[in-house]
Amino acid sequence: MVENARSINIAAGILLAIGILYIVGPLYLTLSTASQSYEYMLQNGLAWVPGTELFANMGKVINDTRIPIQMLNSMIVAFSNALATCALSFLSAYAIVYFRIRWAGVVFALILATIMLPLDIRVITTYQVASNIFSPLNAVLDVTGLNDLIAGAFGAPVHLELSVLNTHFGLIAPLVAHGTGTFLFRQFFMTLPKDLFKAARMDGAGPIRFLFDILLPLARPSVASLFVLTFLSGWTQYLWPLVGASTPDMQTAVVGLARLVPDADGQVPDFPMIMAGAVLVSLVPLTMIALLQRFLVQGLVLSEK
Amino acid sequence: MTSIDLSIRAAAAEIQLIGVTKSYDARTTIIPPIDVSLRPGEFTVVLGPSGCGKSTLLQMIAGLERVSGGKIVIGGREVQDLEPKHRGCAMVFQNYALYPHMTVAENMAYSLKVAGVSKAERTERVATVAKMLGLADFLTRKPGQLSGGQRQRVAIGRAIIREPGVLLFDEPLSNLDAQLRHDMRVELAELHRRIGATSVFVTHDQVEAMTLADRILILNKGHIEQFDTPKAIYHNPASVFVAKFIGSPPMNILDVTGDGHVLRLADGQVVANYAGEGSFRLGIRPEDISVNAGGSIKTEIRYREDLGSHEILETKIAEQTLRIAMPFGVEIDTTQTLSLSFPQARLHLFDGENGRAIPGAFGDARSASASVKEYQ
Repeated sequence: MVENARSINIAAGILLAIGILYIVGPLYLTLSTASQSYEYMLQNGLAWVPGTELFANMGKVINDTRIPIQMLNSMIVAFSNALATCALSFLSAYAIVYFRIRWAGVVFALILATIMLPLDIRVITTYQVASNIFSPLNAVLDVTGLNDLIAGAFGAPVHLELSVLNTHFGLIAPLVAHGTGTFLFRQFFMTLPKDLFKAARMDGAGPIRFLFDILLPLARPSVASLFVLTFLSGWTQYLWPLVGASTPDMQTAVVGLARLVPDADGQVPDFPMIMAGAVLVSLVPLTMIALLQRFLVQGLVLSEK
Repeated sequence: MTSIDLSIRAAAAEIQLIGVTKSYDARTTIIPPIDVSLRPGEFTVVLGPSGCGKSTLLQMIAGLERVSGGKIVIGGREVQDLEPKHRGCAMVFQNYALYPHMTVAENMAYSLKVAGVSKAERTERVATVAKMLGLADFLTRKPGQLSGGQRQRVAIGRAIIREPGVLLFDEPLSNLDAQLRHDMRVELAELHRRIGATSVFVTHDQVEAMTLADRILILNKGHIEQFDTPKAIYHNPASVFVAKFIGSPPMNILDVTGDGHVLRLADGQVVANYAGEGSFRLGIRPEDISVNAGGSIKTEIRYREDLGSHEILETKIAEQTLRIAMPFGVEIDTTQTLSLSFPQARLHLFDGENGRAIPGAFGDARSASASVKEYQ
């Protein structure tokens, strides 16, 4: 719909300006505060005027805090999350769309359920599982009475324990189990001609060759956009890294930023330094968005279809 | 296409289906056991309405669908349990199914690449096929940059490059417009003569069937209604189904009753002499009805369609629609009652219950449709 009425144009312009102010305002405040000294802030509060201390503050962040190693953690978590999510979603969507599987519909519905039950809701159970990844197995053995049999035969019930808390794997794995990617790839595969798979079979290509020779090249833009989206969401995760990592050296940068605010009462936090840290931490996703904007937009459009 | 290049030539294989069936579960049978044998190098068109199982049949030959029972023998080898690539078949799909990210050359050479053919030989074979199909100038293009007809040619090229003994076509022309469809028909016929592979062509278009086929196999709900040459199918339809399916406009089918001497319509008009009793169905092609003053069958025109070369008159007798094709130039007074006569030699009689043809009903020399007994 294209509307040309002047009054609507003006109203839309004003609305847009308010929206921009709402988004850009805090960003500006972050940047300007980050460029002032602690002393300036103590006197004047948050700064609306840019200063000259930006690089000094960034230096402080790099030298005096654990943000650099935490950024590395973030990098590992976000990158592995994106990579694993792409691989897992691609393969599961491939199985659901191209193979006649019993209960494929049920499996797909269960995968979709993960979208409706995000990690934030499951955080307590996820923590329990992460603290001992064998706990579901133990529970099954207990409930089915198998453990009683085992205890009778071997003298003791089976109880396995392995905690992945405070490890990179523990930070990544719960994030990977997410249905959005599967849904996105499924939608994409459904738009491809059905006969493509048959044509490849006639040409002598088995399922694996079809996957690598035909499907993957065709899905490259979708893979790229899913990668960007999951990387960004992995980088900005807060709740799970906060719960899943207990030592500063294992925490991610976003959690680390929040920890820069001292717990002690009465002390005024070094907001210029914290803001400089925020700018530093945002640089990675910002660069990513700047470089891969095309795929990001494509991904947003795809997931809405 | 004047320069004929014979370097792509297939060793045509015989295809035999022995008691082949397809069912998805105990209740839905797509194809009841059928037995059919296609001669080496023969061009067979499988014709039928949608949902009659013709595509399923083709995919079972190709190996894309498993058979539920029976044997498929291609070139003397039982293949029903083999993967498609081991059956020596190639297939052309309705929507082309070209690989969108590969160039024309890569599309055509993909099967050779999978089979491990050397790059030099692949390039050579692609060049030969491209020349044959007039695609030489498009080898570096992607399918998205080609027209529908060109894409279809690439799909055909991809199929013939391996020199398969059997070529399978799954409604390959139905996505093309009328003119292109005609041109591709001509090209396909020419190509078949040159390559000589046993071809099975599935379609619901009777024109394609009549023009391309050596023999037409007409399927109805998985059953073979008739398997014969286009001429025999047109002139001696084995059943009401075939009679109605072939011909445009289709054959008129009238319900008649025999009293031992003549066949009468429900309103008592006598339409033919026949010494049988009971209910029958009488068939006559629209172009075989003669309109003349001496005709004993009376009717009125309800609707006329002028198609230029001929005219279709639609009438009703005994509450049943009857179409008459009039050649160009014959003047008819549409306000008057028409007098028709049905030439006895042009009539087809079918059983009133099972719809099968009653051969030789009117004493003419038209042979019984042997193919029905042979293949049914």
